Amino acid sequence: MKTKQQIDRTARDLDPEVHDSNFMGAKLKSERRYNTLFRDYDDPNKLREIAGNVKQHTLEHLDTYLEQAEESFKRNGAQVHYAIDDAAVNAQVLRIMNETGSQTMVKSKSMLTEEVHMLDYLEKNGKTVVETDLGEFILQIDGDHPSHIVTPIVHKNRRGIAKSFEREGLGDYNDDPETITRRARKHLRQKYIDAEVGLTGGNFVSAESGRIVLVTNEGNARFCMAANKIHIAVIGIEKLVPTDRDLGLFINLIGRSGTGQQVTVYNQFISGPKKDSQPHGPEQMHVIFVDNRRTEVLASDCREILRCIRCGACLNVCPIYRQSGGHAYRSVYPGPVGAVLSPLLAGNRFPELADLPKASSLCGACNEVCPVNIPIPDLLLRLRDKAKREGAKEAMKGTPNLGMWATLCSQPTMWKTALSMGHTMNYIPTEMIPHPSAKSWQGARKLPKFEGGEFRKWFKKRAK
Amino acid sequence: MSSDRETIFSAIRAALDPLPKRTAKPDWPTELVISNPSGTFDSLKAQFADRLAFASGRYYDSVPVLADFLKAEGSILGYCDPTLISLFEGIEGLEIDTDFDDSKINDYTFGITRATAGVAESGTIMLTDTDTSCRLGALAPWIHIAVLNEADIVPHFPAAIERFGDDPSIIFATGPSKTADVEGILIEGVHGPGIQIALVISK
Amino acid sequence: MSLLHTPPNRPAGKSIQLMSTCLCDAFYADVAQATVEVLEFLGCDIELPDGQTCCGQPAFNSGDWANSRKVVRHTAKVFAGDKPIVVPSGSCAAMIFHGAPLEFEKEADLPVIRALADRTWELLDFIVHGLGVTEWPGKFDAKITVHRSCHLRGTKSPEAMATLLDSIEGLQVEPIDETEQCCGFGGTFAVTFPNISNSMGTLKIEKLIACKPDIVAAADMGCMMHFGGMMEKQGLPQKRMHVAQILRDSLKNAGKI
Ligand code: SF4
Repeated sequence: MKTKQQIDRTARDLDPEVHDSNFMGAKLKSERRYNTLFRDYDDPNKLREIAGNVKQHTLEHLDTYLEQAEESFKRNGAQVHYAIDDAAVNAQVLRIMNETGSQTMVKSKSMLTEEVHMLDYLEKNGKTVVETDLGEFILQIDGDHPSHIVTPIVHKNRRGIAKSFEREGLGDYNDDPETITRRARKHLRQKYIDAEVGLTGGNFVSAESGRIVLVTNEGNARFCMAANKIHIAVIGIEKLVPTDRDLGLFINLIGRSGTGQQVTVYNQFISGPKKDSQPHGPEQMHVIFVDNRRTEVLASDCREILRCIRCGACLNVCPIYRQSGGHAYRSVYPGPVGAVLSPLLAGNRFPELADLPKASSLCGACNEVCPVNIPIPDLLLRLRDKAKREGAKEAMKGTPNLGMWATLCSQPTMWKTALSMGHTMNYIPTEMIPHPSAKSWQGARKLPKFEGGEFRKWFKKRAK
Repeated sequence: MSSDRETIFSAIRAALDPLPKRTAKPDWPTELVISNPSGTFDSLKAQFADRLAFASGRYYDSVPVLADFLKAEGSILGYCDPTLISLFEGIEGLEIDTDFDDSKINDYTFGITRATAGVAESGTIMLTDTDTSCRLGALAPWIHIAVLNEADIVPHFPAAIERFGDDPSIIFATGPSKTADVEGILIEGVHGPGIQIALVISK
Repeated sequence: MSLLHTPPNRPAGKSIQLMSTCLCDAFYADVAQATVEVLEFLGCDIELPDGQTCCGQPAFNSGDWANSRKVVRHTAKVFAGDKPIVVPSGSCAAMIFHGAPLEFEKEADLPVIRALADRTWELLDFIVHGLGVTEWPGKFDAKITVHRSCHLRGTKSPEAMATLLDSIEGLQVEPIDETEQCCGFGGTFAVTFPNISNSMGTLKIEKLIACKPDIVAAADMGCMMHFGGMMEKQGLPQKRMHVAQILRDSLKNAGKI
């Protein structure tokens, strides 16, 4: 069907095989999430509500908690840095690598580094960077981008991956997932040993203790802090929570919400360089707190989106994401969370992504599954209002003009006249019906029979 | 860069100042996050064993039985924390180093290190830098054996978190390393251990 | 807590105002009629404010808040007073009790709109939680499936609907797979994202008719217009009914009205 919206077009033109793997992956994870959460808790919604309030509280006292976190890290022997934007964080990382005489970096999954294109930057500056999460590694060798924040290569199939491995000299063509995984294990093992620097993100940070929490299934983040001597953690300032005890909420929610696991395989709590008694592990820990427009989001009326713990549940349950896939969102964060976050993080490029908040039927499924209870539909609506006020063209494409309708709806006499045209309405083209949702109703549906004013007539008659 | 620091802090304050009121920190009871038990168990140890199996981990409380498993897997060469080697006294047929030799990182097929605690509700093993004799020994070999004192099994995550102290690197490991990145198919043993074992001892 | 937290302590007397919704006004006269008959059976005294038009949702969802507020202000004027306002369509009710306060957040007349929101009920929620009805004395021999409209999410309406339908003699309500999935309407979304909307509708219809029901029911006019229109186009035989129509017809079958 003809469409003016980019996301709708991507969905329409998507390779059916890619569609199916996005769709089935999402559906399965949604089901697992539901089963695990409701098996393990009588009222999971209570947890979601409290976890959301803990994050909201932290965000609304962020200056205090950030200061506390900084002190805690310093006390633990870590070095703390700040970076205002993409250029600043990339420069910081490069500087640390240079100052420590480091050439090679192994990195675990971090959406923030995707946001600031760190990999490209470091490579341009002559460094070797190796993504170690299996999915991210495959994306790196393919020059591709994640289509999902938790399962980054859900849009790929084993055949394509096997071809890429063959091309990269990782063995003859073999598309058995186990073989692919073993080959990656062997290949990456050597990288871990060779690298001087391990770079990680951080899922949560306890301000009280200066502990970063890293949540992975593969164990690659453990390996990014084993054979190498330098650890750099790049962390968005919104990742804070007040205390270690609060972490109990989040480690119980993130795995269950994202993949339906009772708990993710590895939860690491890192607060500083290794102990002296420990033969392996980083002797330096650098924590870089990154803004990159998060303070702008904090100042906006969509600040709740900063609660996000990147679990991916809202993507999985979202009927639009299921149809369009993650790449349709043209940004690092796809799905419902991305439809809010990406346009906000785009700064003055907001108009380019202003159509993202439109890509929702406002069904609210995202809010219902979000472990931190973000009212995503409300935020989408606020962004639609913003896009309209700012006249963002991407957002308005295909949206009927509602000025006439509003006038009609505010004037009962006109309204009733329109209704009293009665059955003649059944014979005029749908485009002329003054109700926008009835207008351009397209080929797929039939419009119901027009019965304008019938009910009012009936009601009046029976009242007599 | 101190200027970035100042800019960020003042931006945060500027964002928060206009808020008419701020969300209070919710008080939440520990019970809130304790998951429903999967069955009835007469001890934390029994619950731990059940949950570990659920997480595709393996549970042993006998050293000879464990040694037989290793031999059956063809896992002969391994690393062991020197303070735990006495557990394996008298066991034949295994070659165990108590000094981790970096050049043998790909030859060790098992690593034996100490667990600081176990979490019964999830079958989780808690490792710390303090008690782990060597990070690579617990991570690189295909099989990791965490030696766990029965008395160190705690009922749930909040109880494990209370034991954090000031350790710089704490790990909750629940079952073997795994991925489902390729077509959603579950594969165990990606970067870390493909087999995660808890050897529970009583002192 | 959830998206559509219904306002607490709404008034619940039997003297009510009916918001019949623009879609009933234009297309679904019998749904509004059934609503009246059901409420009158329960002893309600119904006022139908004559100046009512639309709840303002189309513009609200499109992001055209300036135009939407114009319509909501009109609605607030027309529905003056303090009686409960009952709406036989989940999304229109939610527009008033949730959407309207959201778009008036920064407006001086927020209190007026808040007051309007705080006395607005979705029909089934009103019957069960407003009037305390927990059993429906009707009779209806049919196998049905129900689409849980998205705007009932986070409200007590789905529970109310189940309470009422489950107690109707002869009525067999079959569960459907993936209840939480949207039918793809979403107001102007259905027009601006026709391909995705259509795929969503197709999936929803598959689930709704998988068990070969006699009737597919819902409690939201928007959803019904969308997936009903698709079913019509596909020539599917299942009848679509609003829950209010089932309640009314079941009373007729039982000889109660
Ligand atoms: S918005 Fe909520 S559901 Fe979506 S990724 Fe973030 S935390 Fe998860």
